[in-house]
Amino acid sequence: MSARRGSSKRREKQIPHPANSGEIRDDRHCRLPALRGSARLPAGSRRYQTVLVVVAMLAFACAARGQGVKLPPHEKVVLPNGLTVLLLEKHSVPMIDVAGVVKTGSLADPAGMEGLASTTAGLLRKGTKTRTAQQFSEEIDFIGGSFGADAGADYSSFGAEFLSKDTEKGLDLVADAVLHPTFPQDEVDKLLAQSVDGVKAAKDSAQSVIFDYYEGYLYNGKGYGRPTGGDEISLKKIRRDAILKYYETYYTPGNTILAVAGDFQTEKMKKKIEAVFGGWAAKAAPAVKSEATWAGKGKRLLLVNKGDATQTYVVVGNVGISATDPDRVAVQVVNSVFGSRFTSMLNEALRVESGLTYGATSFFSMEKEPGPFAMFSYTRNETTEKAIDLMLEVLKKLHADGVSAEQLASAKNYLKGQFPPSIETAGQLANIIARHEFYGLGDDEVNERDQRIDAVTPEIAKQVIAKHFPAENLTFVLVGKSAEIAPVVKKFAEKQDTKEISATGFWSGEK
Amino acid sequence: MKTGWKRSAPLVALSAVLVWACGVRAQEYPVATKTLKNGMKILVQPDHSIPNVALYTFYKIGSRNERPGTTGISHFFEHMMFNGAKKYGPGELDKVMEANGGSNNAYTTRNVTVYQDWFPRSALELIFDIEADRIENLSFDPKKIESERGVVASERRTSVDGENEGVLDEQLWATAYLAHPYEWPVVGWMSDIEHWTMADLKHHFAMGYSPNNATMVVVGDVTPEEIFGLAEKYLEPIPAHTPPPPVTTVEPEQLGERRLLVHKPAELPLLMIGYHVPKTDNPDFYALNILQSILFAGESSRMYQRLVDKDQIALDVEGSAEVGFDPTLLVISAQPKEGVDPAKCEKAIYEELERMKTTPVSDQELQKAKNFRLAGFYRQVQTISGRANTLGTYEVFFGDYHRLFDAAKNYNAVTKDDVQRVAKQYFSPNNRTVATLLPEKEEKGKP
Repeated sequence: MSARRGSSKRREKQIPHPANSGEIRDDRHCRLPALRGSARLPAGSRRYQTVLVVVAMLAFACAARGQGVKLPPHEKVVLPNGLTVLLLEKHSVPMIDVAGVVKTGSLADPAGMEGLASTTAGLLRKGTKTRTAQQFSEEIDFIGGSFGADAGADYSSFGAEFLSKDTEKGLDLVADAVLHPTFPQDEVDKLLAQSVDGVKAAKDSAQSVIFDYYEGYLYNGKGYGRPTGGDEISLKKIRRDAILKYYETYYTPGNTILAVAGDFQTEKMKKKIEAVFGGWAAKAAPAVKSEATWAGKGKRLLLVNKGDATQTYVVVGNVGISATDPDRVAVQVVNSVFGSRFTSMLNEALRVESGLTYGATSFFSMEKEPGPFAMFSYTRNETTEKAIDLMLEVLKKLHADGVSAEQLASAKNYLKGQFPPSIETAGQLANIIARHEFYGLGDDEVNERDQRIDAVTPEIAKQVIAKHFPAENLTFVLVGKSAEIAPVVKKFAEKQDTKEISATGFWSGEK
Repeated sequence: MKTGWKRSAPLVALSAVLVWACGVRAQEYPVATKTLKNGMKILVQPDHSIPNVALYTFYKIGSRNERPGTTGISHFFEHMMFNGAKKYGPGELDKVMEANGGSNNAYTTRNVTVYQDWFPRSALELIFDIEADRIENLSFDPKKIESERGVVASERRTSVDGENEGVLDEQLWATAYLAHPYEWPVVGWMSDIEHWTMADLKHHFAMGYSPNNATMVVVGDVTPEEIFGLAEKYLEPIPAHTPPPPVTTVEPEQLGERRLLVHKPAELPLLMIGYHVPKTDNPDFYALNILQSILFAGESSRMYQRLVDKDQIALDVEGSAEVGFDPTLLVISAQPKEGVDPAKCEKAIYEELERMKTTPVSDQELQKAKNFRLAGFYRQVQTISGRANTLGTYEVFFGDYHRLFDAAKNYNAVTKDDVQRVAKQYFSPNNRTVATLLPEKEEKGKP
C-alpha cells in the first residue's frame, strides 16, 4: 500500500505489488520520501514519483562519460491561445506520455485553505461536461492508460500515459479533464474526506510526514512551509466555489505547458494537439508572489511525539538553493560527496562504520525559490543523541576539510555514470522538458552537464560549502518517542518546540 | 509499501513479461543465453539506446530456505555480500563501483535473492571482477557482522515495526502458514536478527551461493560475445557445489477461517485478508491475474468502485499475490476510513468476491484486464533495468524465459468461465486468514 495516501498524493490505482513482508528491497541509497512542498509532475502511476525524485536529486547530474548523452531533439510550439506545447519523439515502446504543468501551485492557496490547488488538481478527472468520474475511470482503464494530477508549491501538474494506438482516446481524455472539469459537489465532498483521512493515515508512518513538519518549521509556516496537500483543518475549509475560482483563474492555456513524448510523428501529433487544445479560450492568469524566504537563524528544534516509536526520525538543515541557482551543479557534486549516495560521508559515518541506521542521506530540493536543504536519518531511541552528534560532526568535517580531489573525481564519475537511465523513457523525458520550460532552463542543462560537472574544482567546492551548506544556523525536526528522547535532545538547540503527532496539522508558524 | 522506493516487484515483472509475445518490438531485443561449465546461466539482451548496463544476478535462495532461530539470514547475508571479499575489502566494493560511475542494490524475497548493478559500459569488466570476487571469496569480518546487525535491525524497525502495514502483514503470514517456511518474515524476527552467528552465515553462503544456483541477466550497451567472454574469464572458474536442499514441507490444507487482531497506537485501523493460491508456475496463474485486475486495477475496478467510491468506507483497497516456488498468498488490504468498523470493509469485500463467483464478468471487463496487462508489460520493458528484472524473474520462476512466448496465448485464452472458476476455487471462507489492526486509542476512547 502506498504510505502517501496523504492528501498531497492523489492516488491512482496501479499494478499491485506484493505485500511488504515478502520482499525486502534494500534501499542502499536511502532514497527519500518526496517532499510535499517540492513541486512534482505526477502522472498516472507511481513510476512518476520515482522519475521526479530522480529529477530532484540528480537535477544537475551530468551526461555519461565520453560523448555524453543528449536530450533527443524536441520541438516547441506556442498555440494562438498561448498554450506552450513541447513534442519529443521516442519510439522505444509503443507508448505516449503527457506531462502538463499549470504554472501556479499551492502558493496561491488562500491562507487557511491549504490544499486547494491540490484538491483542484485531484478533481480534474472526477467529472467533466461529458463524463462522470466513473465513466472517465472506465475509459482510461479500458485502454490500460493512466491519468493523474496534483499540485506542488510552485506549480500544478497533470500527466497521462497510454499506448500509441490509443492516442485519440488518450488525448481526448486528457483534454476533457483539463478543459472541461465540472467539480460535482459529491465528488468534492468525497475527495476532501479522503484527503483528511489521508493525512491521518500518513501520520501512522513517521517517515511519511517528517518532511511536512520540517518544511513547516523551517519556513515558519509561510511560503514553502505551508502544507501543499493541506492538513486536517485546512481541508475542511475548502468549498466548491473556491475550487471553481482557483480553476478558472489559473487553468488557462497561457499559464500551461503541455509536454508530450513517445511513439508518434511530430507533425501529426502537432495537428492532433491543435485540434484538441486549440479551442481552449485564451485568458490571462495573475502571477502569484511567493512570500519572502525565511532563513532560520540560530538553532531551533521541533520534537514531534509519536508515543509508540521505537526509532527516532531526524531531519537537520536549513534553506538551500533554487532550481536556477548558478551554483547548482557544484552543489550537486559536493552533495554527492556529502550525503546523496551510498559512499557519502553521512552514510559512511552513520551506517557503514557505526551501524546506527539503515540509511543517512542529504538533499537539496531545488524549486523556484530556495527550497530546503536537509540531512535525514533514523536510529533507535537509545542512539538518538549519538546519531545526531555524528551528523553534526560530519557537517563540521565538510566545512573544515572540504572535499578531496579523490572524492571529487569519484562524485563526478558517479553523477555522470548514473545519469543516462534518468532520461531513458518517454515519461522521464516529458517531465524533464516540461520542468526545464517551467524554470526557464535550456537543453544545456542536460547536454552540457558533463562539462559543468568536470569544471568543479576543490576550490569551487570550498566556496559552495561555505555558501550553501549551513553550519551554525540549523533547524532540527525529530519524530520519535518524547518520553525517551526529549532529555537528550535538549542540548542541540536553544529554542525547542514540541507537538503531538496526533494533534491536527503540521507546523503553521509562531503565533 | 511506503514511498516510491519499493517499486517494480516480481509480480509486476512477471505479469508484464507474460504478454511479451504480443510486443511488436520484442524482436528488436533478442535474448542470447549461455550456461557456463559450472552451471551458472547467463542471459544477455543488447540495447544500445543509452551507454549503460543493468546486470542482475538471481540466486534461488530466500527465506523459504531458512529455519527457526535463523530467520532473516538470507536477507542479512545479502547485506554481507557488500561488506568485503578477498580483492575488494570492506567498503571497497561500493567505493570502487561509485568511483567508476556505477551503483548497486539488492533485494531478498521468500524465494530469491537478487543483486543489481547499474553502470556505464566503461565499468563492465570491473563489475565482473567485483561479482566474481564476492561469489568466490566473500570474507566474514566479525566487526562488520556486528555493525551490519545494527543496520538490519534499523531496517526492520523502519519497514516493519514503524509501519502498520508492516506489522499486520507479518502477523498475517505467520498465521496463514502453520508448517511451511513462508510463515516467517523475510527480514527475520528481531530476536533472530540479534542472535545469528558467523557459523550461520558461512553455512548460508555454502548452501545458497553456488554458481549452479544462479542466473545472471545483462541488459544494455553490450554484446553477447563480450558478456560470454567476461563470464568465461571471471565466473566460469568458480567451482560448483551442492545447491540448497529442496524445501519439502507442504503446507497442509487450511480447514477453517483464521482470524487475528493487532492492537497498537494508530490513527486509523487496517484490514488484510489472505487466501492461499497455487505456486506461480501453475496453469491458474493467468486466470488469477486477470481476476486480480478486474477486482483491483484502476479506479474503475470492482473493489475501488465498491469500497472507495460507492460505499465510501475505505481510503484504498488493493490485492496482489506474491510470486513463489511454493503455494503462496493472495493478500487483499483495505485502509478503512476514520470511524469505519473494519468489519464493514470486510463484509463489502466478501460481497464483491461472491459476485465474482456467482455472476460471469462482462466482456468489457475481461478485455480491460487484458489491455491492462499489455500496457503494464510495456511499462516494465521500457528501461534496461526493468527488462533485466523481468527476464530474470521469468527465467527463475517459470524455469525458462522462453515460456513467455506462450504467455500471450495463455492470457488471451482466459475466459469468463475461468475467472469464475478460480474465484470459486480460491475465495472460500475456509481458505482465508483475516488480520485486523485496531488503534488503541480508538478502543479506549470509544464506547
